[in-house]
Amino acid sequence: MTAVLELRNIAKRFGGLRAVKSVSFEMNAGEILFIIGPNGAGKTTVFNLISGFLHPDEGSILFNGKDISRLAPHHNARLGIGRTFQIVKPLKNLTVLQNVMLGAFMHTGRLQQAEAEAGRILDFLQMSHWKDLPAHGLPLAALKRLEIARALATKPKLVLLDEVVSGLTPGEALALAGLVKRLPEWGVSVVGGVEHVMQVVMKIADRIVVLDYGAKIAEGKPAEVVSLPVVIEAYLGAKYKELPK
Amino acid sequence: MIRSWKLWVLLAVVAASCCLPLLVQNDYQMQVVFRIALFAALGLAWNLVGGYAGQLSLGHVAFFGVGAYGLALFTSHSVPKWISIFLAAIVAVIFAEIIGRIVFRLRGPYFTLATIAFAEVLRLTATNLKITEGAIGLPTPALFTGPSFWRLFYFSAVALAVIAFLVNGWVSRSRFGYYLMAIREDEETASAVGIDTPRYKLRSLLISAFLTALGGALYGSAFQYIVPDNVLTIDVSLQIAIITMLGGAGTLLGPVVGAVLLMSASELFKNQFQESHLLIYGILIVVVVLFLPEGIMGGLQQLFRWRKKPETARAAS
Repeated sequence: MTAVLELRNIAKRFGGLRAVKSVSFEMNAGEILFIIGPNGAGKTTVFNLISGFLHPDEGSILFNGKDISRLAPHHNARLGIGRTFQIVKPLKNLTVLQNVMLGAFMHTGRLQQAEAEAGRILDFLQMSHWKDLPAHGLPLAALKRLEIARALATKPKLVLLDEVVSGLTPGEALALAGLVKRLPEWGVSVVGGVEHVMQVVMKIADRIVVLDYGAKIAEGKPAEVVSLPVVIEAYLGAKYKELPK
Repeated sequence: MIRSWKLWVLLAVVAASCCLPLLVQNDYQMQVVFRIALFAALGLAWNLVGGYAGQLSLGHVAFFGVGAYGLALFTSHSVPKWISIFLAAIVAVIFAEIIGRIVFRLRGPYFTLATIAFAEVLRLTATNLKITEGAIGLPTPALFTGPSFWRLFYFSAVALAVIAFLVNGWVSRSRFGYYLMAIREDEETASAVGIDTPRYKLRSLLISAFLTALGGALYGSAFQYIVPDNVLTIDVSLQIAIITMLGGAGTLLGPVVGAVLLMSASELFKNQFQESHLLIYGILIVVVVLFLPEGIMGGLQQLFRWRKKPETARAAS
């Protein structure tokens, strides 16, 4: 069985900065994988590489066995990779429903059909009551959901959720995490990226990949990974890793 | 979305424009209403690129000029007048394809500057080429002759405006239009939902160029003589853009409202205040930009939306 997504020795430089250094991992269908790491670890770069907004300097990215490392973003989206943006990017002057319809238009040219599909997704994400409001002026929690809704409407096989719960209150974050955990019901695998909301990650991730300074330093089940000394060191500094828990 | 009331508005506007010639007393006034109708059509054509797709082109005079020059050149090679108009429009589309492939790589102000540059290149080319008779210009054949000359030109301009309006109406409620609006709002988001943004921008430009060239040909034919400083000057680009933005870019009726208000205002001021009419024109633009940044129709739309759904607005906050 081929993995849904496979990264092979991906590297990306920005001038003299090596943002991602030879990162490899793979994930299976229906899995929820979280990439965690401190600020600047390279998470967003990895998301941009997978979704085609950046192209790797070295290595290759396989999606359902096909090399996608050189494709344009819209091409990747059509293959079934949906994404959200860390800094939310709603189409401000369109309504919530219209924002989601844009995703649905990938599979239908008919307005009513796109509207129905968008409505179904808004129901699932429990945001139907917002559907006729323009996207500008919505609270952050709603905008984060809108990002997911728009990505989900393209019927992706994989969604990339960059910092999906950052900036939310713990209550909002947990509510959203509950919805993310249900995404595999839609036939979607999830790669999430989170800096430090570990509570959420522990709850919903099947597996975790830890990045630090652009390199993968750990991979495994949430409970195993967070107790590794090397992970604690990356987050808190070397002197804390010997402390008893 | 075209709701039924919009259809009624369209019918009312068309009926009003058909009755208008009855009120007009002389050729001068007829020529003014011809220009209003023509610029409404040009505004609607520009609206596809500048309004829905949000690409601020200030080079649309290039297509306008290609339409006018195309008509003159094709007919001088004894192609029938009406066929020449369509050939000129097709040439404009080819130009748009070439220009668009280059300028749509740029964004924001750089895009706008590039469109201006392309139009200027065309103007300078027409000024210096032998075939276009340089600054002396070319005679253009009149499509209509006889005593109802201006009336027939006026009705052709109204017909062009109606076609442009219907194209806008179709765009505003189609996937194509949604894609253009997505590009206007955020190109990255648009590509994240699978929209090939350069391709859709280019498509909107091709349609827009076709309609603009028809307008240019009509203009050249009505005044029967064209020079580069008349049909290839940046003033025309600016006027088209300002009319649409003032009326409301990205709305169906905006370009029509803008054309009626601005063209008649500038004509009135020209008669009343002679040279200072440009000042008043300028002040008008400043006032609207300050108080109605989304144009007249955009502002009305917002007011309407706000009135309609206060309870849901409160629920969200």
